[in-house]
Amino acid sequence: MTAPSLGTLSLHPTTGIAAATTDLSKVYGSGETRVVALDRVSIAFRKGEFTAIMGPSGSGKSTLMHCAAGLDSFSSGSVRIGTTELGTLNDRQLTQVRRDRIGFIFQAFNLLPTLTALENITLPLTIAGRRPEREWLDRVVSTVGLSQRLGHRPGQLSGGQQQRVAVARALISRPAIIFGDEPTGNLDSRAGAEVLGFLRDSVRELGQTVVMVTHDPVAAGYADRVVFLADGRLVDEMTHPTPDRVLDRMKALDTRSRTS
Amino acid sequence: MLRTALRNVLAHKARLAMTVLAVCLGVSFVSGTLVFADSSAVAYRAAASKNFADIAVTVTPKDPPPGAAADQHTTVLDDALARKLADVPGVAAVHPSADGSATLNAADGTPLRAGKTWANLAGAYIPGKDGKDDSRYPLVKGHAPRNSDELAVDSGTAAAGRFSIGDTVTLATDGPVMTKRLVGLVSTEDTRVTAGGTLALFDKATAQKLFATPGHYSSIDLSATPGTNAVELANLVTALLPADRAEATSGTARATQQATYVDTLTRGYEKLPLVFAGVSLFIGSFLVVNTFTMLVTRRTREIALLRAIGAARRQVVRSVLLEALLIGLAASAAGFLLGLGIASVLPDVLSTDGDTLPHGPLVIGPRPVVAALGVGVGVTVLAAWLPSRRAAKVAPIEALRSAEQPPSTTRSRVRAVVGLVLLVLGAGLLISLSGAKDASEKNLRDAMLGCAVLVVAMIMLAPLLAAPVIRLTGRLTGRFGITGHLARENALRDPRRTAATAATLMISTALVAGLAVIGNSTGQALDRQAAAGLDADYVISTRTPTTGIDPAAVQRVADTPGVRTATAVTDSTLFIGGGVRSISGVDPATVNAVMKLDFASGSLKDLGPGRIAVSSTIAKEHGLSAGGRLNAHIGRNQEFKKYTVVGVYKDNPTAQDALGARSEVQQHSSKPGSLQRILVRTDDGAVSKITADRLRSAVGNSPLLKVQDRAELVHEAAGTMSNLLTLMYGLLAIGAVISSLGVVNTLAMSVAERTREIGVLRAIGMDRAGIRRMIRLESVTVAAFGTLLGLAGGLFGAWTVGALANGAMADYSLVLPWGTLLLVCLVSLAIGTLAAAVPARRAAALSPLEAVAQS
Repeated sequence: MTAPSLGTLSLHPTTGIAAATTDLSKVYGSGETRVVALDRVSIAFRKGEFTAIMGPSGSGKSTLMHCAAGLDSFSSGSVRIGTTELGTLNDRQLTQVRRDRIGFIFQAFNLLPTLTALENITLPLTIAGRRPEREWLDRVVSTVGLSQRLGHRPGQLSGGQQQRVAVARALISRPAIIFGDEPTGNLDSRAGAEVLGFLRDSVRELGQTVVMVTHDPVAAGYADRVVFLADGRLVDEMTHPTPDRVLDRMKALDTRSRTS
Repeated sequence: MLRTALRNVLAHKARLAMTVLAVCLGVSFVSGTLVFADSSAVAYRAAASKNFADIAVTVTPKDPPPGAAADQHTTVLDDALARKLADVPGVAAVHPSADGSATLNAADGTPLRAGKTWANLAGAYIPGKDGKDDSRYPLVKGHAPRNSDELAVDSGTAAAGRFSIGDTVTLATDGPVMTKRLVGLVSTEDTRVTAGGTLALFDKATAQKLFATPGHYSSIDLSATPGTNAVELANLVTALLPADRAEATSGTARATQQATYVDTLTRGYEKLPLVFAGVSLFIGSFLVVNTFTMLVTRRTREIALLRAIGAARRQVVRSVLLEALLIGLAASAAGFLLGLGIASVLPDVLSTDGDTLPHGPLVIGPRPVVAALGVGVGVTVLAAWLPSRRAAKVAPIEALRSAEQPPSTTRSRVRAVVGLVLLVLGAGLLISLSGAKDASEKNLRDAMLGCAVLVVAMIMLAPLLAAPVIRLTGRLTGRFGITGHLARENALRDPRRTAATAATLMISTALVAGLAVIGNSTGQALDRQAAAGLDADYVISTRTPTTGIDPAAVQRVADTPGVRTATAVTDSTLFIGGGVRSISGVDPATVNAVMKLDFASGSLKDLGPGRIAVSSTIAKEHGLSAGGRLNAHIGRNQEFKKYTVVGVYKDNPTAQDALGARSEVQQHSSKPGSLQRILVRTDDGAVSKITADRLRSAVGNSPLLKVQDRAELVHEAAGTMSNLLTLMYGLLAIGAVISSLGVVNTLAMSVAERTREIGVLRAIGMDRAGIRRMIRLESVTVAAFGTLLGLAGGLFGAWTVGALANGAMADYSLVLPWGTLLLVCLVSLAIGTLAAAVPARRAAALSPLEAVAQS
């Protein structure tokens, strides 16, 4: 059983590709306890596209995102952000890539409780020792609708507001790509819809590239494309998804993984 | 519950290691100092005690009645008496001796253990009846001294002085310098010598001449046949003695007398180390409280779970206390062992050059063991008690909640009020003392109380001061950009924890800063005083008041090249209506050349027999002025007589309490006719090693005499401050060690709690160096907070308490020891940086994946 060829990589070598993996494998342990989390995964994320990664628990979707985002190491294959090959970078260089070219949105918001909303938003720039461009900051802040709450600390914000701060933080450095790890996992459906709306807007209006791991078909419905993983392999892909179609596909995958 | 407690101890090994270490250090100081105190008391006792074990009765001469022939050395103890005593029934053996003290010059010319004349023994080598060796001093090498030119010493003395057989040894008993040829080495079991004293043995005739009179002894010891009652024997012997010239005492009675005397001698010696122990425990208990509080906070969920499944509050308290008990036991055991190590090195640490402590084996009594256990276990359990109650208050619902609760505001308001009240009380008490004129017992007690209250107030207020002070220091750390900003915010996150961590540093800094200021101010005042009134360039003086300078030496000193004048002074005591004062006998003609005297009334012009000058303190005490009359007597002359006061001078350590005519004072001094000081003025005030050496040889290189220039004199006077200095640096070291443990502890905890945050920072682009810097800056911030508060408290305390010294010391004024204060700040910076090393490394090693970890 081989993964279906997605073809995109060979058709568009580098232009228009924000990030890509080639034959990416991640193996934990050895011998008896050997677990293959990712098995030669090749996938490209096009610029200005909103991609959702889906799959049953343990399918490797989070691992794929962690490796692609330079958060985790991998066993073989390659990961590129733009033209930068992550596998060859040391920790300091990798940190810089994350700082300047990648944005993150976490399930648990992960804002720094001691900083205000504004300080949290500009944190990646502050760490890099840069000042935010006034115009861009205003635009990002108004896009996520936080203008009135910039002086508040995370503890004084609702979950949805906190996640909007996190979205703004991911956008502020104009990264090549934003990765979201279940960004709506801790939110109620209304707040979740808001955040997903902002993510989609940032793709449509700001030309941002977004990749999001989710298990929620409704969330995946906001994406331009959905890729499905099972047992560490890419098994399917869907463009212009709707929640219903995604749900059907997931059910099929679930049955398959249960029977195989 | 025991099992839960044990499991918890094992599960939190790393964190608890800090607590164990803190308790262990505290216990080691306590047990170490107690063992040291016991050991040194035993050693002191040995050093100061003659062994009376084998002596049934001692016969000693009585002082001649007052007014009789002045020669103290006359005794009636002679060979005839010794023979008579040997015939008394029950007497097994008679050991006559002619004992005194002698100070030797080591081979390099410096006096050997000159500071401790009580341990510089000298005596006669008296062979037994059969003509064989003296049983008290078995010969090791060479032969016994046989004539007045020969000398034997014990092997320890020979080693210390680098003597070998055949060498010429310079020594003095209480008069002129002698040289003898070393002919024999002996061994001795006399504890006074084995504890670090020296022993010089002469032939019988020489020793009798030096320490008694020819043909006589200074004492006769009798040993008894088995079964003889010592007291009855003493009575039998007494009957044979001329009643007013000698007495017989039983050995046990003498031993008891001696023990009492030695007790007073050694008392107070353990005070200094016990201060260390107290301080380290006090500071250490903060660390323990802090650790347990953090442990309990971290285990809130776990405890709540225990409560949810049915554990009673009491059981939770007991579990935490049991944990503390286990830790206390382990720490006490380890601390006790460490304490033995401390006890064995303390003598070397406390011995400054020339002033060696007596040595002896370590003595481990029950007291240190009980103290170690009591203190270690007690402090730990007490310190854990508060957090344990907090633990019991954890509601079962907490198990389901993830966020921790903010500290209650009512409690911090109560804390603020109580803290402020205490602050006002403590500061008020101290400020009220600043008007005090003297260091009376009551004032000192008040000062101690004020300081203690102030310390407690500062501890209570510290959490409230944390925010403003750290915002201030944050301006500095802010210069490091985002890492500094985050460090500041993290230090502010839990002000109580920050304050508790900083408390150890605060207390030790306050103590050190306060002591440093008082010590420095006192030291400078002493410096000024020591040389005040001295117009001489060199002072030659005796090491002990009972010895004297050979009067012939004055002329030799005066004739030394480079010397312009040499003035002799005789020191004696002046008894005024129950009070004992010192009086200097001077020559009115020459005294002005060597002493600067500032007369309030009268002058020295009329000084002479029956006419004295007094210091202004004495004048004030007795309402005197020039022309007044004072009822007093000088030295050994026990008849009071009216003295006319010819002048009142400003207090002056060179002139002492009173000045009299030397001719009169000399007559009554403890060694009649002797001199105690020669004040020397050189040409042009020149001071050089050559001159000092010449002066030394002018007084025959006597080991009994000191030749000091002004600077050395001042240095010696300031020497009394060296104890305070040792105390200060000791406290600084203890404070540094314990505080860094506390900082490490808090940081490790805080890193553990912030794993996810640090992961986020790593994920969004902070590199490892940035994380390390952030933790380090947080640590420095906490340390700086403690140091600033401590400095403020210490300086305030020193300023107010210094007033007490002000009353006691005329020249006292507050002088800030900038060097020491700077050192304190540097130490705190070092603590901040070093304590952060491990937690910072651990934080930097965290993976950015921690940000997405589900927990």
